[in-house]
Amino acid sequence: MIILENILMALQSLKTNPLRSVLTLTGIAVGIGAVLYVVILGNITQQRINDRLESLGSNVLLIRPGYSHMRGVRTAQDVINLKWDEAKEIKTTSDVIIAAVPRYTGQGVAEFKDQNWSTRVTGTTPEYETVNNDHPIEGRFFSEDELNRRARVCLLGATVHEKLFGNHSPIGESIIINSKRFTVIGLLGAKGESWHNPDDVVFVPLTTAQERLYGVDYLSSILAQMRSADDYDESLFDIETILRRNHRLRSDDENDFRVRRQDLFLSAVQETNQEIANFIIIIALMSLTVGGIGIANVMLVTVTERTREIGLRRAIGAKKFHILTQFLVEAVILGIIGGILGTVGCMGFNYFFTGNGLSIPLNWVGYSFIICSGIGSIAGLYPAFQAANKNVIDALRYE
Amino acid sequence: MLIKMNNVFKTYVLGEVKVPALHAISLNLEDNEYVAIMGPSGSGKSTLMNIMGCLDTPTTGTYYLGRKDVSSLNDNQLSDIRNTKIGFVFQTFNLLPRSSALRNVELPLIYSGMPSLKRKQLAMDVLERVGLNDRMMHKSNELSGGERQRVAIARALVNKPSLILADEPTGNLDSKTGEEIIEIMQRLHEHGNTIILVTHEEYIAKQTKRIIRLRDGVIESDEKKI
Repeated sequence: MIILENILMALQSLKTNPLRSVLTLTGIAVGIGAVLYVVILGNITQQRINDRLESLGSNVLLIRPGYSHMRGVRTAQDVINLKWDEAKEIKTTSDVIIAAVPRYTGQGVAEFKDQNWSTRVTGTTPEYETVNNDHPIEGRFFSEDELNRRARVCLLGATVHEKLFGNHSPIGESIIINSKRFTVIGLLGAKGESWHNPDDVVFVPLTTAQERLYGVDYLSSILAQMRSADDYDESLFDIETILRRNHRLRSDDENDFRVRRQDLFLSAVQETNQEIANFIIIIALMSLTVGGIGIANVMLVTVTERTREIGLRRAIGAKKFHILTQFLVEAVILGIIGGILGTVGCMGFNYFFTGNGLSIPLNWVGYSFIICSGIGSIAGLYPAFQAANKNVIDALRYE
Repeated sequence: MLIKMNNVFKTYVLGEVKVPALHAISLNLEDNEYVAIMGPSGSGKSTLMNIMGCLDTPTTGTYYLGRKDVSSLNDNQLSDIRNTKIGFVFQTFNLLPRSSALRNVELPLIYSGMPSLKRKQLAMDVLERVGLNDRMMHKSNELSGGERQRVAIARALVNKPSLILADEPTGNLDSKTGEEIIEIMQRLHEHGNTIILVTHEEYIAKQTKRIIRLRDGVIESDEKKI
């Protein structure tokens, strides 16, 4: 009852000083906005990492060429020493590796009617579909037969599809890739943003990529699928044995290739993200502290300004408790409005910069509500006590 | 007997010095009395008002308001007494400037915990009695001085107090509106209210039924009209 009255009084007093109220709220708003934004970003990246892990599986190894060295200095160029035969050999020789998918990736320009789009073209084998768990949402993957025939068929990633076809189905259409005509046989589902966009890609048979498009005989990478994640050591041993022998490395030579576990790589990404998030959270906490001090300051000013009002309220029957709650409620409401502004601002910011509609996790809306009320009540406590303990007679005569 | 003060002393301590403000005041007031308290500044009339209005307690001595010994009550109990038994009218009106007249009058009832509808009705009734039926929704800073003081009187009346304390209610008004206010006081007295009026003006004091004069913290004279 009296709390409801207090809320009405508080809103009215905020209304009489709108500029001051808003300025006071910015600290809290920025702090809460930053906290929420970090949470959202964290959730989104976590979601993507989980998706990637799920689609790759934790039992996939990525084999890439080593760095080339020129007179002992590492250069930016990769060495070109991975061959399709090696992929086949790894799969057939090793007991723990159940699939080895060769890939060659090059740059390409895809054209359809008057649209064109520069993208990555990845040549691979039909095994890619099952190992990467990447099934077409429309159409089909290419077959062994098409691989053998160096067929001019392709599958589009979601981004390429959108750029060339908009909303229309691309299946059966013919597009030009690097001046060669291809038939679209499949469309892959969107996988979302990552450190590079996995949807900005066109898949073609490996033979087509190597012989028709790029004229190369080597690979960019091999994805090796282990029987289970526990077979890592044995798999690594098998891969190293085969590749070192093929590359004729002496026992004191370093590997001229790299083997990486996808899940470890992702967890490193995750760690970096976490560090950035922690940093932002520290800044947010500082902003919240400053916001709290701002509220305390404005409440002290308000209490002084309204000394006579306090005296009058006491004279007509308000108890200390009533005055205390009145100003405490006012401080809490300041905090909460700051929180609401922060939440809305955060959603607006995210919409503006990423264009995504945004789902702030509900529990975090709850937390920020609690945080704001907490800051408000801590900041309001001292001013409210001061207000409640004013001498009634002096307060009535205060000029 | 509404007020019974017995040998009331009030001493303020300013640093090391004790300043006596009231000295052995003994005073009785019946229901429905209309009293003026007069005296030069520093005579202790404000202190006496504060004690009568339960804003302050005597240093020694007893003060009975109705049947209750007020001199020994704590802060919360004093607040309750002020809320239910006393109506204040101040020289400077002391209204909440950005609230409507109605809202100002409601204020004492909010603190006594009366439900919203009932207190609105009561406040409207009282505002009507002081002749402000058409100004209820005006903010108090949009009202004239006389109207403001009438809102303040309505606020003092709304909790049906046993005692109305008016501290120079005409002090900030021109003499014509001052007279209107005094007329309202007169009417309230005729309707059975007990009123204590602090004033400097001899002509206002003359309209009351009893004049108490203070000087240097003691009662100099106490004359009743018959």
